[in-house]
Amino acid sequence: MSGASLAGDLRAFGAAALKEWRLLRRYPTLFVGFLFWPIALPVAYVFQARAYAGDSPAALDAFAQRSGTTEVAGFLFLGWAAYMWISMILWGPGTALRTEQVRGSLEALFMTPASRLVILFGPLVSQVVWALWMFSVVIGTMTLVFGVDIAAASLPHALAVIAVAVPALYGLGALFAAVVLRFGEVSALVQAVRGVFTVFCGMSFPIVVLPEWGRAVALALPPTYLIGDLRRVLLAEAELTDMLPDLVVLLALGLLLTALAVVAFRATERYARRGGSLAQY
Amino acid sequence: MSARAVEAIGLVKEFERGRRTVWDRLRRRPDRRERFRAVDGVDLAVEYGEIFGVLGPNGAGKTTTMKMLATLLEPTSGTARVLGRDVVREAREVRRRMGAVLSDGRSLYWKLTARENLEYFAALYHVPGSEAAERIQHVLNAVRLDDRADDYVERYSTGMRQRLVLARALLPDPELLLLDEPTVGLDPQSARDLRDRVRDLQGQGRTVLLTTHYMEEADQLCDRIAIVDHGRIVALDTPAGLKRTIGATEVVRLEVTAANGQAPVDGALLGRLARAGEVTHIERRDGALAVTVHSRSARDFVPAAFDAAQAEGVAIRHVEVVPVTLEDVFISLTGRALRE
Repeated sequence: MSGASLAGDLRAFGAAALKEWRLLRRYPTLFVGFLFWPIALPVAYVFQARAYAGDSPAALDAFAQRSGTTEVAGFLFLGWAAYMWISMILWGPGTALRTEQVRGSLEALFMTPASRLVILFGPLVSQVVWALWMFSVVIGTMTLVFGVDIAAASLPHALAVIAVAVPALYGLGALFAAVVLRFGEVSALVQAVRGVFTVFCGMSFPIVVLPEWGRAVALALPPTYLIGDLRRVLLAEAELTDMLPDLVVLLALGLLLTALAVVAFRATERYARRGGSLAQY
Repeated sequence: MSARAVEAIGLVKEFERGRRTVWDRLRRRPDRRERFRAVDGVDLAVEYGEIFGVLGPNGAGKTTTMKMLATLLEPTSGTARVLGRDVVREAREVRRRMGAVLSDGRSLYWKLTARENLEYFAALYHVPGSEAAERIQHVLNAVRLDDRADDYVERYSTGMRQRLVLARALLPDPELLLLDEPTVGLDPQSARDLRDRVRDLQGQGRTVLLTTHYMEEADQLCDRIAIVDHGRIVALDTPAGLKRTIGATEVVRLEVTAANGQAPVDGALLGRLARAGEVTHIERRDGALAVTVHSRSARDFVPAAFDAAQAEGVAIRHVEVVPVTLEDVFISLTGRALRE
């Protein structure tokens, strides 16, 4: 790719994010939804935990032994915040592609010289704003309502963990987009994967409670590392160097999934260009 | 610069008809899908600076051909070069230099303004940031939407949306524009307006390749026309040249009734009419026999037709003389009307 082409694609990337952001702004009620769910979902689990264990020191000790923290509210809020962000990314590229297909704009996009990666990932950039908004709401609620103590110095570490997780999660999202191009529908698959993540990645409980085979599954899934490491930096004030092996695994999974996604997307685009399915839905 | 703006040789596109479910695959049932050719060996050469029309009925393969040239579909066989670049091997280069209107206003973002739509596509077409605002204003002026540029597209009329789609195609400042049925669904005024814009584009030195099933549109706009049917080009010439091929200057349409007011038995009458002109179409309609005749001179043919009617004891209740149209050319080539 030439330098001019790369610069053009980078500009297009920004334009895709801006377009998506403009479209989102035209539906302001969405912001209310994004204020509600990051609080409502974990709060329900916090009260459930209280119902089961109350303030019993023995119960909290048992939880701390398994999870590494006594901050039940913080544990649950971070788990569900990560889950919601992951859901956004899993749905993102596939849904964006599907929306363009149904709207009738996909062919217009594919007739431009912009890289397919722009079309695939550009709209997702706007979701960074949503993710920041959601994590801000979650951390604000944790600290102000539930009194969870989070050191300001931990926040850059948390951002670093999120950044390392991005390639793996976006790679998964792009794989789903390839499925959309091939089959025109991806929601059933996304729901199934979200179910697997909910059970195995420790959204609402530490993975040590899983059976051995379940832990093995958990360690093969990128969200496990993201959620675990976010809790470690924000609730246990761990240093990034403490989590280096995790971050290396996360990056490796990211590279693998991104490469897989690029290959799958190219193959399905070729399939669509042979069969004429770009405009079919 | 390559010799021709578009050059296709033996272009073929096959699709599968029917379906094969996952269950069929798992059961290893034989594949019973039928392959059919939507485009069947099209050869095309479009010169720089011309408006070239592809005229044919729905399902003739026009859109499939355009999609192959626009790199959206891969040909099954044959080759196509657009602005000197191969549409398969150099697809990205083709996209960089060509504009295309292959869809209607649905392909726009209705919750964005026209300017916001164009800003997005300008970036996708890699228009340099320093030139984008000026380029967008230029294309808005070209399609006469500059005064409504900051309105949401959802508030536009169908014709305005189609003009915006054209503006989008102009963003890369293309040497070649592909327009697939650009006036379908437009009211006559909007369609005329869009045709004017297409003429303006030719005036700016651009090449236009358009498909249409409106013969008047093809006749008025195009320097040359390829008539397609069942995926093949059945004739290619200038509009005047195509009309000359049927060997007549006028078309005479007669409605004949028998004395009892019913459509007459046609044999003897048609034999007489055929001696004075070329009978091309016969149809029983509303209790009359509708006969279409190609004639070199209606002035000579019409009296002869009345003589024939009198001799056969039938009455001509309606006579219409019109110049030869591309519709007549299509009928003479395929035996069917364009809208059938």
